[in-house]
Amino acid sequence: MKDINIEERVVSDHKVKITARGVQVHYGTTHALKDVDVDILSGTVTAFIGPSGCGKSTFLRCLNRMNDTVSSARVSGSILLDGEDIYDKRVDPVQLRAKVGMVFQKPNPFPKSIYDNVAYGPKIHGLTRSKAELDAIVESSLKKAALWNEVKDRLAAPGTGLSGGQQQRLCIARAIATSPEVLLMDEPCSALDPIATAQVEELIDELRSQFSVVIVTHSMQQAARVSQRTAFFHLGHLVEYGETGQVFTTPKDPRTESYITGRIG
Amino acid sequence: MEPHIRSAFDKDLEGVQALVMKMGGLVEHALLRAAEALEKRDEALAEEIRQGDRAIDELEDLVNVECARIIALRAPTASDLRTVLTVMRIVASLERSGDYAKNLAKRSLVLAQMRPINGANGSIARMARSVVGLLKDSLDAYITRDLSLAQDVRNRDAEVDQMYNALFREFLTHMMEDPRNITACMHLHFIAKNIERVGDHATGIAEQVIYLVSGTAPADDRPKNDLTSLPISETNS
Repeated sequence: MKDINIEERVVSDHKVKITARGVQVHYGTTHALKDVDVDILSGTVTAFIGPSGCGKSTFLRCLNRMNDTVSSARVSGSILLDGEDIYDKRVDPVQLRAKVGMVFQKPNPFPKSIYDNVAYGPKIHGLTRSKAELDAIVESSLKKAALWNEVKDRLAAPGTGLSGGQQQRLCIARAIATSPEVLLMDEPCSALDPIATAQVEELIDELRSQFSVVIVTHSMQQAARVSQRTAFFHLGHLVEYGETGQVFTTPKDPRTESYITGRIG
Repeated sequence: MEPHIRSAFDKDLEGVQALVMKMGGLVEHALLRAAEALEKRDEALAEEIRQGDRAIDELEDLVNVECARIIALRAPTASDLRTVLTVMRIVASLERSGDYAKNLAKRSLVLAQMRPINGANGSIARMARSVVGLLKDSLDAYITRDLSLAQDVRNRDAEVDQMYNALFREFLTHMMEDPRNITACMHLHFIAKNIERVGDHATGIAEQVIYLVSGTAPADDRPKNDLTSLPISETNS
């Protein structure tokens, strides 16, 4: 008889994908992120939780240099992707974002066809040489995003015509079409109904076999459901980072306890 | 600990814990009164205790329903989750202890028809009082989240074990002296064993307190003094 592996959530033997050390972010005079050290593992879903304004989205946006687009933002400290500093001058942020994809809170498909939404990234990054290759990428991305069966007969229809949940899965398909190594998700389900949320969560779990997934969520239950590692941010500090089950059953820091049990906001 | 932002959550948690304390009170009362019924050969009292067990069982059901609701509706985490889990385990212990009290009352009805065994009823009543003390302290430790009192309960269970050992030998002596004592002594022995079991449940509750407060179950073996499962020759040496 086969033993049931009850420790399937344990990912401690996974390699470190992203190493952040002493990360500080200032927006003008606001000190938004204070000295964050964290190791994000490959093949793992890492959830960032914490009250609004705690720095979790700010930190997520550091991971693919989205803060570069905010003129008042200053980022210091080091963030290494596979040992290479992503803030190095030689790194092209556009290339970096092909490796570190992002899915946003509200589904934001381009006002183009379903096909073009997914094909856009591979095209501009010159990842394909032929139409057949591009077709294959579109199909496999839509399949990975669990959307293929629902849209395969209407790839030319506008992406904006899909339902909210389908649009969000289209955005996930678009993000994974460039074969990223890390997928950042900023509250990807906050605009979705519970069934669409469940579909996206199921998808996140499947995606982690191929990508590191980092998800910012306001729903602690979602963090508990989908992640293997949880990081709790509070007032710009990374207060606690650990195995999700441990964080939700026996948090080490009293601030984590107060937050997850609904005592501080 | 500070209150929840959602005050209804606090009310739910306080509610089930109040039910646990109420149930604990009923069990303590049932044990003491059942021992008293035995000591005084009071059949009316014994019958009252037998009937009273239903109220204890109903409280357990109520607590379990409430805990299921809290888990389903509030998704408790961390110390809130441990509160719900420990409440469920504690009421299971209390329910079992209530059954033992009921069983004691039932046997006392049988024993009231038999020739009394010298000194036994008094010893059993003493043992029951000692165990009720443990039970009371374990529940006090629970409601005040008192780790040191919980530790103390764990350590004191050894005294109950010792009383049980003494009774065990006493009953053996009576049975060897006069075989006509055997039926009564067998009943008395089951009673003593059951009271000793209540001590174990009190210890279990104390361990739940340690888990609730610290987040981990106590790892070290607690002191035990029940030697009756060893061969007689060893217990006498």
